Amino acid sequence: MAKQSEKKIVAFCCENSALKAAEALDGPAALEVLAAVELVRLPCTGKAETGLLLECLEKGHPGVLVLGCPADNCKFLVGSSRARKRVEVTRRLLKEAGLSEERVHMDFVSSVDAHRLGRIVREMQERLAALEPAPTPIGGKS
Amino acid sequence: MITAVQKPFAEIQAMVEGYSNLLVLGCGTCVTVCMAGGEKEAGILASTLRLAGRQKGLKMRIVEDTIERQCDREFFDTVRDKVEAADAVLSLACGVGVQFCSEVFAGKRVLPGLNTRFYGTTEQQGIWSERCAGCGTCVLDRFGGVCPVARCSKSLLNGPCGGSQNGMCEVDQENIQCGWQLIYDRMKSLGLLHLLEENQPIKDWRTGRDGGPGKIVREDMVLDT
Ligand code: SF4
Ligand code: SF4
Repeated sequence: MAKQSEKKIVAFCCENSALKAAEALDGPAALEVLAAVELVRLPCTGKAETGLLLECLEKGHPGVLVLGCPADNCKFLVGSSRARKRVEVTRRLLKEAGLSEERVHMDFVSSVDAHRLGRIVREMQERLAALEPAPTPIGGKS
Repeated sequence: MITAVQKPFAEIQAMVEGYSNLLVLGCGTCVTVCMAGGEKEAGILASTLRLAGRQKGLKMRIVEDTIERQCDREFFDTVRDKVEAADAVLSLACGVGVQFCSEVFAGKRVLPGLNTRFYGTTEQQGIWSERCAGCGTCVLDRFGGVCPVARCSKSLLNGPCGGSQNGMCEVDQENIQCGWQLIYDRMKSLGLLHLLEENQPIKDWRTGRDGGPGKIVREDMVLDT
């Protein structure tokens, strides 16, 4: 199995759903999730922009999760579905750049679904573990 | 505004191949509004190119910046150093900006990252459509403010043709509205249908593309040298 980068998976979490689910985790499940991902709080996943997702990968994070409300339950109505479209664009760009689109994944978690969150993180780790490790940076931003 | 779309990524990649120091230069005006070449898009394209370069093991340095406009000289001052340090500039301006950038930095390779499309409007976020073809002799007064040059596929001034069906144009019945149906509907709502009875004379196209490259000189505004 390919060795993953030292950096954690970045998980952009909607504060109304996925973040609450993460906070509801306790015991070993909480430790497992926190060891694998860096949680980033967003007011809504509609705030997750393509450039930001790509930048995480550029900085050496092995993968990015965007975790929003179930599409019909978004506090801002269309935030989750907008995020889904941006994630699709990002995955297409990754493919064009010769990287696996699996490095960016969107899922939908309600605030009471802490177990599902744990499973999403584990599955993401498994998908990433099956990939060739991403190459380290060469050129870069000034 | 001038509208544009990003070139296919593979075409851009082939264009920038061989350069080791690339500046991706966005433009902060029209192409920002049509979400093709502004600061965000420059960032996304530069990131994608860096990730792709890394994947291929290329030793390529790619930086990005955006200026207010690439069609006016003064705005280039803020990026002069970055342009000079780069061995090529991938401009995300319209065709005007790309050309003007290479005029300002004579001797610098400036490459187009966009395909420039048309003068258009934002119908809604994410959807832009053509309104004007820059013919140089505007006739909108005669057609209720709907342009027959830009919005009729055949630029007919005495339309419609026989291909207009259910409001759609025969060139693409799914996607193109018949410009002449739009003209008719607008003139009707303005109570001006009788004006469409008049035959329009042959248009003088020399003020547009057919007259060669355009140039405007305003003697009263030209600065003394
Ligand atoms: S008539 Fe000419 S100038 Fe007027 S909107 Fe149409 S193309 Fe543009
Ligand atoms: S169908 Fe309408 S828009 Fe199309 S060419 Fe004929 S008149 Fe012009």
